[in-house]
Amino acid sequence: MATPETILREKPVAAPPAVPGPAAVLMTLVVYPLLIAWTFFGLLVSPLFFLVWRLVTGLPAGRIARQLIWIYGRSWMAIVAPFVRFRRAGLDQPGIRPPAIFVVNHLSFFDTFCMALLPFSDITFAVRSWPFRMFWYAGFMRLAGYLDVETMNWEECLIAGRRVMERDGFLLFFPEGHRSRSGELQRFYSGAFRLAREFGVPVIPLCLVGTDRLLPPGRRWLRPARVELRALPPVDPAPFADHGELRRHVKALMAGELKAMRQERPA
Amino acid sequence: MTDQQIIERINTSLAEEFELDLQDMTSEANLFTDLGLDSLDLVDLVIVLEGAFGFKIREQETVRQIRTLEDIHRFVIDKKRSLERTA
Repeated sequence: MATPETILREKPVAAPPAVPGPAAVLMTLVVYPLLIAWTFFGLLVSPLFFLVWRLVTGLPAGRIARQLIWIYGRSWMAIVAPFVRFRRAGLDQPGIRPPAIFVVNHLSFFDTFCMALLPFSDITFAVRSWPFRMFWYAGFMRLAGYLDVETMNWEECLIAGRRVMERDGFLLFFPEGHRSRSGELQRFYSGAFRLAREFGVPVIPLCLVGTDRLLPPGRRWLRPARVELRALPPVDPAPFADHGELRRHVKALMAGELKAMRQERPA
Repeated sequence: MTDQQIIERINTSLAEEFELDLQDMTSEANLFTDLGLDSLDLVDLVIVLEGAFGFKIREQETVRQIRTLEDIHRFVIDKKRSLERTA
C-alpha cells in the first residue's frame, strides 16, 4: 500500500545545480539587498506606523503586529515578483474561515513569507525557538503572540491556542518541524492535531511547492521559481478516534496533493 | 503491573505516537541519534506517558535529561512505584 512517504518518493525533487546560473546570480544580487533595506526601513518606521494604526483603529497590539507581519510578507512577494511567479488555489472554499488551524509542509526558509499568499492576516504562527533568536524579527513575533512550541509546555500551548481560537483567529503550524531536505513529507509532530481535537476546530491542510527551488535548506543563492500554495478542504477532527488518526489522515491528504501538484508542473 | 508490562506499554505508546518501528526500540536506543526524535518531541513524550499511565509529570528537568529509551523506562517505573508507595 502506498504510504505518504512512498507517494512522494516516486518523483524526487531535482537537486539544484552546484553553480548558479546568470538569472540566479542576478536574483541573489537584487533580492537580498532589497530585502535587507526594506527590513531595516520597516524596523525604523514601524513604531510610528504602529502607534498611528493603533490610535486610528483601536485594534489590539497583537492584531496590528500580525497585520504588519502579513504586509511584510506581501512586500517580500513584491520584491521577488520579477523572479518568482506566485499562485494560490482553493482558498475561496466556504469552509476556510476562522477559527481553524492551518498546517503546511515545509521546504524553505521563505515558506513563512509565502504565508502572505493567504487572504487572512490574523494568523498566529506556532514556531520553534530559533526564529525568536533573530532579534530583528523577535519583537514583532512576541507582540503578535506567536507560540514558541519548543519552549512552552503543553498547558501553556493550550492556553495560548485557546486565546487565538476565542478571538476567531487562525493558528498555523509547520507540522514537520523542519524544512525537508528531500522534498518528501517528514514525520508530523502532533501539536496541531491535538489542539484541533481539543478546541473542536477544523484543520486546513495547505500544500506548498516551488520554494524548494527558490531557496532549499543549505543554499544561500536564490533561484527563480514558480510557487504555488493550495488549500485542501478543511478536515473536521470530530470523526477521528484520536489525534494520531487525524494526523495520519491529514498527512496522507497532503502527500497525495503534493504529488499531484508536482506532476502538474512543467519540467 | 510488572516492570516488563510497563516497558511494553511505554514502547507501544511511543511507537504509535512517533511512528517508530518496535524492532528499533531497544533499551539502549538513543532517542535523538537512533530514533530520530528531537527537543520538540519532549512535549509529546510527556503527554503520551501521562496518558498511558494516568499521572502528571512535573519533573521537567528530569525529562530534559532523558537520552535513551532505558532512561524513560527507569523514570516511569520509579515514578509509578513511588506513587504506589504513597497511595
